[in-house]
Amino acid sequence: MLSSIKNQMIAKAITRFPSLAERFLAAYQPVRSEGVIPWSELGKPLRTCKMAVVTTAGVHHDDQQPFDMRDPDGDPSYRELDGTTIRSGFTITHDYYDHTDAERDLNIVLPLDRLDELTAEGLLDSLSVRHFGFMGHIDGRHISTLVETSAPEVARKLQKDQVDLVLLTPA
Amino acid sequence: MGLIQREIERQGIPTVGISIVRDYTEKVQPPRTIFLKWPFGHPLGEPGNLAQQRTVLLEALKAVKTIREPGEIIDLPFPWRRYRYSVEQMASLD
Repeated sequence: MLSSIKNQMIAKAITRFPSLAERFLAAYQPVRSEGVIPWSELGKPLRTCKMAVVTTAGVHHDDQQPFDMRDPDGDPSYRELDGTTIRSGFTITHDYYDHTDAERDLNIVLPLDRLDELTAEGLLDSLSVRHFGFMGHIDGRHISTLVETSAPEVARKLQKDQVDLVLLTPA
Repeated sequence: MGLIQREIERQGIPTVGISIVRDYTEKVQPPRTIFLKWPFGHPLGEPGNLAQQRTVLLEALKAVKTIREPGEIIDLPFPWRRYRYSVEQMASLD
């Protein structure tokens, strides 16, 4: 509880005073990826593509289990987001950034309204109904769960939904 | 975020990510990235700034077409605040 409040205070301070971020960022460093960078060609025009969004900003439906903020290594699980209802009621569970602005306008982390507009203009074919939410602070022992279980599971669901292109947004 | 992006791409679906911490993205090496030097929690900009949010999305979609080299990061020139976005109308991105 105390560490959670501390994290939230640090997150707010960093958002207000970006110069603090560098010290915070230096304290956490992701592991450098090895080997070949995965690559899939988009073999069709954007106007024929179905798009989905995966966000790590901690967004979920009000009635879903919040992400676990007590574990210092984070939470490698994900939440399925229904694009038709998430806009009218959502919760952000993520103590590592200040989500006051995202609560005022979800589009700054999950831009479904803007993507609807691009679809209506014909720049994309359609927006998937199902999107996915993670809580981006994932470290230590949870990284292998993320890479070996959660992320491939989400990828299979995106395939099942016949999604052609995925946008990823951080916190 | 980049680790999830890599796994989705590995399963055969093209991806594009927005980064606000270039250093992390350079290490994790997701396939396609647009970078904005903006504060945490604001990958598409400010609440209610529709033209800004739209601009970021159009840049992300353009990046899908223009990035040919896996791991490329496109640095977008938009400063945080004090920039007037216009609503760019276009018939097609293809």
